[in-house]
Amino acid sequence: MRDRGIREVPMRQKQPSCILTFHTTADAMDTERVCKAAGLAGRLIPAPRDVTADCGIAWCGPAETRPALLAALREAGIEPADCRERLY
Amino acid sequence: MEKKTQQIPAGTSWLGQNWLLLLTGFLVGAAALVLNLLGNPGNMGFCIACFERDIAGALGLHSAAPVQYFRPEIVGIVLGSLLMALARKEFRGKGGSAPALRFGLGALVMIGALVFLGCPLRMVIRIGGGDLNAVVGLVGFIAGILVGLVFLKKGFNLGRAYRQSPLEGLAFPGALLLMFLLCVTGLCGLFRSSEAGPGSLRAPWYAAILAGLLVGALAQRSRFCMVGGVRDAVMFKEFGLISAFGTVIVTVLLGNLLLRKFTGFSFEGQPVAHSDGLWNFLGMSVVGWGSVLLGGCPLRQLVLAGEGNSDSAVTVLGMIFGAALSHNFKLASSGDGSTPNGHMAVIIALVILLAVSLVMSFARGKEGKK
Repeated sequence: MRDRGIREVPMRQKQPSCILTFHTTADAMDTERVCKAAGLAGRLIPAPRDVTADCGIAWCGPAETRPALLAALREAGIEPADCRERLY
Repeated sequence: MEKKTQQIPAGTSWLGQNWLLLLTGFLVGAAALVLNLLGNPGNMGFCIACFERDIAGALGLHSAAPVQYFRPEIVGIVLGSLLMALARKEFRGKGGSAPALRFGLGALVMIGALVFLGCPLRMVIRIGGGDLNAVVGLVGFIAGILVGLVFLKKGFNLGRAYRQSPLEGLAFPGALLLMFLLCVTGLCGLFRSSEAGPGSLRAPWYAAILAGLLVGALAQRSRFCMVGGVRDAVMFKEFGLISAFGTVIVTVLLGNLLLRKFTGFSFEGQPVAHSDGLWNFLGMSVVGWGSVLLGGCPLRQLVLAGEGNSDSAVTVLGMIFGAALSHNFKLASSGDGSTPNGHMAVIIALVILLAVSLVMSFARGKEGKK
């Protein structure tokens, strides 16, 4: 494939993830800061259609980080609107 | 927090994830073409700003005779969203997030849109119709969104919405439905109606409401939003939403070619458009910036209002108020060009947007997290 100049793009495997949605975009941005500071893996994503009717921003982290994630947010005073586990 | 788990098929392709958005884009483009064929103005088969401006005129909020008509498309979008939200158990009365600021921001977005002559949706429909002025508007729109995103990242926040009674969420769709019924049952002598100009060019009411219902329902289901599309592309490198707008352009372009209505790409002689590049750019910058702060484009605000969001209903009322200001004080452009009052209004709008962005980003920083 490479010989013909076509770049191979590996398909991302979906992982069990913890998806958090928020009442405001600012809470989502704060979550990113809190998670970075706490060394928690994850990233901001567009809120998935099947999780919320809002077109906002959500946090997606590995499912196993859920307890630590919720604890970190509680300590920072951030209240997620919803928290779901699914493949992402 | 209660643990919820949800299973979705792994390995879904990009098309599998985004087909609904692409279908919505196709439907919006097709609706614009069909409504245009049935009587709506050129390149204005579907325009939220223009339709809300016409409704403002119909209600007597402004006295510009050529742009007065109670557009059923707006009613259809809100009711389509309401029905889809009810069917999917997503209808929730909620609100209380800075309603006065949202009203004002809605008015500014409308003022910017009427200097450009169209909402983001009409902007892409105009591009599909060969109007290069809309490409200038698109650049301004993206620039405005990028500025707004900077403030979002700095912590811009209008505050959270809270649950309200279902009646609060139903008030706006109900009021629109009542006015629509007054119109179609012939009791519409109450409302003004243009006899010449864009307001007199209209598709039959049943076609208009049907198109609105379909677009509203699919936009609710797919979360179709122009501002969200640019935001997702810039912040997350996700191109599903923005592809839907590409689909609108392609659909309108192909439709115009098939119908032999396409006369090539040009700046001059486009229907209900002007070629003042600077003010096309700045007008749509106001729309982009304001829409980011509001959390959605004008179409999205209608859809959210249908889902029971009273903040979005207030925003739509602000847009209708902005349309009235635009026509009462000669802020709105016409095919002849933009106006000196319109230029002043856009500059004032940009200053207000900057002030609101700064205050709501940094004042919150001083308060601390909560």
